[in-house]
Amino acid sequence: MNGTLMKQTIKNNISLWAILTIVQAFFIGAMVMGGKTPVSMTAMSYYALLPGLISAVYVIVTGNKLIAAQVDKGTMAYVLSTPIRRTKVALTQAAYFVGSLFAMFAIAGCTHIIAHRLGAGGISGDEVKAILLINAGLFMLNFALSGICYLASSVFNLSKYAIAVGGGIVGAMHLMSLMAKFNSSFDWLKSFSVVTLFDIDSILAFSNQQVLSMTGHAADAPDGAAFIWKFCILAAVGAVTYVAGSTLFAKRDLPL
Amino acid sequence: MENIINIQNLTKDYGLGRGLFGVNLSVREGEVFGLVGINGAGKTTMIRHLMGFLHPTRGKCSIMGEDCWRNAEELKTFVGYVPGEIAFPDVKSGIDFFKLQAEYMGMNGISRAVDLAERFNLDATARLKRMSKGMKQKSAIVNAFMSDSDILLLDEATTGLDPLMQKVFTDLVREEKHRGKTVFMSSHMFDELESVCDRVAFLKEGHIIDIIELSKIRGDERVKEYKIEFVNDGDYLAFLGKPFNVKQRQEEYKQVTITIPDDDINELFRVLSAFEVKYITQKPQTLETYFLEKYNNTEVSQ
Repeated sequence: MNGTLMKQTIKNNISLWAILTIVQAFFIGAMVMGGKTPVSMTAMSYYALLPGLISAVYVIVTGNKLIAAQVDKGTMAYVLSTPIRRTKVALTQAAYFVGSLFAMFAIAGCTHIIAHRLGAGGISGDEVKAILLINAGLFMLNFALSGICYLASSVFNLSKYAIAVGGGIVGAMHLMSLMAKFNSSFDWLKSFSVVTLFDIDSILAFSNQQVLSMTGHAADAPDGAAFIWKFCILAAVGAVTYVAGSTLFAKRDLPL
Repeated sequence: MENIINIQNLTKDYGLGRGLFGVNLSVREGEVFGLVGINGAGKTTMIRHLMGFLHPTRGKCSIMGEDCWRNAEELKTFVGYVPGEIAFPDVKSGIDFFKLQAEYMGMNGISRAVDLAERFNLDATARLKRMSKGMKQKSAIVNAFMSDSDILLLDEATTGLDPLMQKVFTDLVREEKHRGKTVFMSSHMFDELESVCDRVAFLKEGHIIDIIELSKIRGDERVKEYKIEFVNDGDYLAFLGKPFNVKQRQEEYKQVTITIPDDDINELFRVLSAFEVKYITQKPQTLETYFLEKYNNTEVSQ
């Protein structure tokens, strides 16, 4: 990692990060404080939808800005005309991306816990566990999705292609997961989307929370351990795409 | 002097005849080397290879014996660069930009950048986004020279500069040469290259068609070109009957252009003294005339 580049990257991306992080913290805070909403309820009415979409915006926009946009505009020439290895540039950008997503959900999770304590006058250990695991799941999901955008950003010279491919895949995956969620005839779409690997029901069951079904009918008793292997797949997708992106960026031609 | 930049059989094939094909050239330490050619001839592609941004299809290039692709980042310690397209990082002012680059380079302070900015009459405290084309270009030049690198790779560094600033730039390049720096610069402005370069390579469709020593062009050629206009047709036609090497005739203006060795110049005056001459002028050979002649007469073999 390069400290100067990291500082510069944080400076250039912090505002979007801050806005989206505040929006999420505000939503969950208001919901829990105002409505005394139990964790199981927030899982269905909030976590199943909103954070995924908000962070998708961040992932798509930032993914492009971190590499492809800088190659497209030509500003990358100034970083690479100094004695910094390309791999180091790539890893610094990747570290920022992953770190900022981690911070985003750490803040969201903490806000939820604090709001719950204040709003409901207390919080159980299982509730804390559920909240932390749900946010960890969102982080794992975004680790995988950001990896896909990072890979797209690393291989394309033009922003428009990086956004079309990276953003296209992330958008399509969210869309497929939503369609499957709202209409069971689209259930087959689940297997094409990593978004469905973020298994809230399993996390709730694991933390001894009530599991509410979206469609109203009683949910099948979820497998309380399923989220663990799903986390592993998300981690693997993220790891592979980040490593591939960094490697390809270090090896390819740059029009600078 | 030792060769500091070596390009051997460099080929970068982009298809459809675009790219670079079998380029060989070397630049000596302390030399100012120019690269000239029309848009799309491959100048920028060549410089990008030297910067390690592009990987050769075949062949290799090296700086100070180090491979430009493999050891790109080590070489950057010794290289200053003006890119062909200027797009600054997301910082506020010129000063902030210099500070950022200095930090990347591990430099202590930007005093040299401040001096250079003053020399180019550049207000570096101005916001980068508001800067005119010329100011941006000046900022890029200051950035390339501020780290006092041994080698400078300049891709059309004077685009957008007014003639006065071009003069400041060529003076700076000459000064750096005297301090032992090696400069590799591309340009499509002949007079700029003519005034600073030791040698110039002509690039056409990705091939080097000629490398010329500027000293051969700079006025010490022994055969010179003269253009003469006569007052009346009779004299014009009578002169054409004389045994001079006529290069061009323009009958409607009663003008003729001849080439003649210095040794025979008195013969010319003897002949002319019998005629009524409107004017006579020597056409100095410039890099431009040399280039255009060469360019039009060279077919690049595919």
